[in-house]
Amino acid sequence: MSEELEKTFVSLVDASWKRYEENKRNSWMDDLLVGVVIASNVEAGYALIDLESDGVRHYLRFEKLATKERLIFQLRNLTEDLVGAKVLGRHAHVIMGYGKTTTNPSKIWQIFKDEVKSGMIDSHEPGVITFDADLTAGYVYAQVPLLLELDQYFDVDSQVNQPLIQNHIDATIHSLRKYLDGRLSMVGGV
Amino acid sequence: MLSFLSKFKHAEEMRESKDEILTGEIVRAMARQNMPAIGFKTVGEDQSIIFKPLRSILYKLTITVDRKTGGSRLSQTMFGSKAWITFNAQVKNHVADPDDLLEMYKTDAKNIFKSPMFGDVKLDHQLNSVFASKRVTVDIDNYLPKDEAGVQTLTNFLQEHINDVTEKLRPFKKG
Repeated sequence: MSEELEKTFVSLVDASWKRYEENKRNSWMDDLLVGVVIASNVEAGYALIDLESDGVRHYLRFEKLATKERLIFQLRNLTEDLVGAKVLGRHAHVIMGYGKTTTNPSKIWQIFKDEVKSGMIDSHEPGVITFDADLTAGYVYAQVPLLLELDQYFDVDSQVNQPLIQNHIDATIHSLRKYLDGRLSMVGGV
Repeated sequence: MLSFLSKFKHAEEMRESKDEILTGEIVRAMARQNMPAIGFKTVGEDQSIIFKPLRSILYKLTITVDRKTGGSRLSQTMFGSKAWITFNAQVKNHVADPDDLLEMYKTDAKNIFKSPMFGDVKLDHQLNSVFASKRVTVDIDNYLPKDEAGVQTLTNFLQEHINDVTEKLRPFKKG
């Protein structure tokens, strides 16, 4: 009898651990994404120079030390709740930006700002490329928000599909770089 | 246009970002070894990264970089960029059977309480977990890779200390 009760207890504890680990895995999904983005960009030759978080949004900044090109990321897990994640899949809101130093960044930033004067534009819309500037450091950035499906990058055991995420970052940064270079050449910023 | 550039602290010189650069290199080196980062914590000057070892007896591994010198130009010139790197590894035993639990406390926990130091590794038994930690002092500049050979140097350094704490924990991992 005592043996049977202990067996039942062990099975209850085993099932609890499984549920607990599943919840845990879901809760660290945004940090897993932060880690993969860091690893991918360092592999691509960028140095991590800033890592900040407000608990919900995570901010990363990288620099290619030889060329001074910079990348900025804002990452937010949209499905922290396990039930939502199971029903909808895991999604993240990611803003990626590519920046470079330019001659006369203040003038260029003013030109770019003047293009978007109306309050009617929703800059949160995914796929819309906007500009930003860090005038103290002399950088102008092109940036784009994307909604990414996390399940394609991580399996249930947190095994990472590094080539896929690397490819997605490379494709986005390449496009931002091309667009920024093109626009800068139009306004005499190169 | 919404800006999030103000979220970044503006280091005046790249010297001030050395801890972050090292953090990035550690995350990359660990990812190559199938240990993805699953948590980041900053407390004061300490930067802790939590890793999930995917093919290991370890449940979690935390690496903390605590920079001691080199924050200012003077300190960098006089002492270099010295930092403490702490490795804290955890094994978790999913033991529920009361007989097994009692046995674990009679042997493992008692042994650890009796002698918590194994060389430079400190062991600590708490509930169903056993932790092993060790701290090493390094010059950050020696571990900021400039090429693939540098990445290997950092990887070897991490592997050596991770192996050390893992082996100290191996006898205490059940199942």
